[in-house]
Order: sequence, then structure tokens, then C-alpha cells
Amino acid sequence: MKRPEKISPVRLLPAILLFLAVILVGCGAGDESEEQPAAIDGEGISVEGSWVRPARAGRMSAGYFLITNFEDVDDTLTGISSGAAELTEIHESYEREEGMMGMREVPELTIPAQSTVTFEPGGLHIMFIQVSQSIEEGDQVEVTLHFANYGDLAVELPVRQ
Amino acid sequence: MIFPTFKVFLSKIFVLLFLSTVFTGCENEVKDDFNDVSIDLVDQNGDPFNFPADLKGQPVLMGFVYINCPDICSFITANLYKVYSEMGEPEDIHFIVATFDPERDTPEELKHYASMFNMDQPPFRFLTGSPDQVDALMERVGVRTDVSYTKETDDGEELYFMNHSDKILLIDQNAQLIFDYGGSMTPTNILIEDLEKL
Repeated sequence: MKRPEKISPVRLLPAILLFLAVILVGCGAGDESEEQPAAIDGEGISVEGSWVRPARAGRMSAGYFLITNFEDVDDTLTGISSGAAELTEIHESYEREEGMMGMREVPELTIPAQSTVTFEPGGLHIMFIQVSQSIEEGDQVEVTLHFANYGDLAVELPVRQ
Repeated sequence: MIFPTFKVFLSKIFVLLFLSTVFTGCENEVKDDFNDVSIDLVDQNGDPFNFPADLKGQPVLMGFVYINCPDICSFITANLYKVYSEMGEPEDIHFIVATFDPERDTPEELKHYASMFNMDQPPFRFLTGSPDQVDALMERVGVRTDVSYTKETDDGEELYFMNHSDKILLIDQNAQLIFDYGGSMTPTNILIEDLEKL
């Protein structure tokens, strides 16, 4: 009688790895990549990567950017002003409970020394409440950021979807 | 000796598990069936729309928003357009955006909103309706909302903002729910992969 062939565990390894690979990626696990923040190299406060969503007059819009504090001490963003809307505020979207999103005003925001704070969809954003006139792709929205130490910083944010 | 036999058995189990994963592991399961309701709504052009009757026959990607939410909701709407664009602008898939703020989001307002995203065109439809009908839709699809806070503008107008579920639904040709995603944060490649299975 022929004895069953002895299978080395090493020979099973490819099948095991393939099986695990199918489980882990077979049903569509995404490959999410995250941009690494740029090295801190400069002075004062800078704003980069800014943009604003289009909006119809009287409606809301949101603006996004990266604020970098190059100084050795923390600074505080105490407010944002703009003639483009009735009210311009710092807001934050957050998950109140599982699957339930809320939005709240952030009265002021610390920008830590030698750090970058990101305003991005689903998180911190500039909230333009009741824009004065329709803003469309290609427009520029002027805003002034008010910092406790640095003072005022005027920036133009391009409008895009 | 029993040990080699056990290893043969083990290897067969692995093969069976592997094959079952390949052939059935990614199969779509029906999570809900919307054929038990008939909800009359209206689209951005003022044309009547029935949920789910007017969705049948094609797969559906459906998001839920209100216009005065420029952050999360804009991201949901933009996500639907991104899927449409990355799939080569298919015309055999319904892309639906429904508001849960019908008091403010009239057909006319939705039409302007749609045009901001280059979505005031087929196969996109933006839905609103009477508060009762919209509430019925949101309850049936599991979208929860409540007023988060109000704000008074300098001219005395009171504005309200809403807490809301963040979701996109994938519904099949038979009005059956296949997937329920976190809307704003769902990578479009996942939505596309799942759509292509229908």
C-alpha cells in the first residue's frame, strides 16, 4: 500500500501566504497614501496649499490650507476675516458618534512652534457663512488670518472644486 | 503513522479555504430591500421621482447631503462625481444625491448646487421633496439628522446647521442595498470596485 506523501510545512507556505493575501486584499482594501509634511525650514508663519469651494451667493463655502509656524514659540490663530462672506469662522467637522458627523466652531487655534496645522475636508476648515456674491472656479477669495504673536497675514485663496 | 495524513488533510483544507475565498468570499450580500416603500420625491428639474421605483434596472450610488454643509457634504457630492469620472462617465449607473434639508434645498437650489459640481446633467439626479416624504426616505435608508446649532447673522437672520449620518449607499438593479459606506471618507477605488461587481 502506498503511503501518503509527506508534505513539508515549507511546501505549504506559498499556499498559506496566498490565502492570507486573498483575505487581506481580495475584497478591496484600498491603498491610501499620506503626504508627509514638509521639513520645517523658514521663518514667521506661512500658508500653503490653499483653496476654497465654489458657492452661490447667500450660501456657505469652506476653505482649506496648511498653516506652518516656523517660530520657536507657539502662536494662536485668533480669528479669520473676509469681505467675501457675512461671517467667516474657524470650524471643525467631527464624528459625534459612529457614522454621525457634526460641525462646531473653533474660537481660536494653537499653531505649535515648528509645526504645521492642516485645514482639510472632514476636519478643520474656514467656514464662509452666507457668501456675499457667488464664488466660482478661477476666482480668488481674500482672507486675513489674525495671529496673537505674528499679527495679521493676508492671503488669497483660489476657488476650485 | 497519523501525522503525514493529517498534513495532507490540512493542505486540502487550505486549498478549499482558498478556493472558497476566491469564488464566494467577495460575493455581494443583500443587506436590505427597499421594495417595501414607495416615496414620491422631485429632482432638481422639478420632475417627479419615486424611490425606489425609478432606480430599478441599473446600479445606484446614492449620497445624502444638505447644501449649507460645505465641508463633509461637498466631499460626498464630489466623491460621486469622482467615481463617475474615473469610471469613464458611465450612463448605465444612477448617481443620486438626496437632501435631508428640504425646507431650504428646493429643486432650484439643488440645480445650482449640482451645477457647481458639474453634475446638473444625466445620469445625476438631486432629490428633494415635501418634509414628510424626505423624512420617510431618510428613515427608511437609515440617515439620521438633527439640528446641531443655530447662528444669528448681523442682519438678524437665524441659520441652523445639522448633525447627520455620513454615508453613501450602493444599491443594486433590484433596489436592494449591497453596501453602506462612510460617505465622505470612502476611497473612490473601493466604490468603483464594488460597482463593477454588479
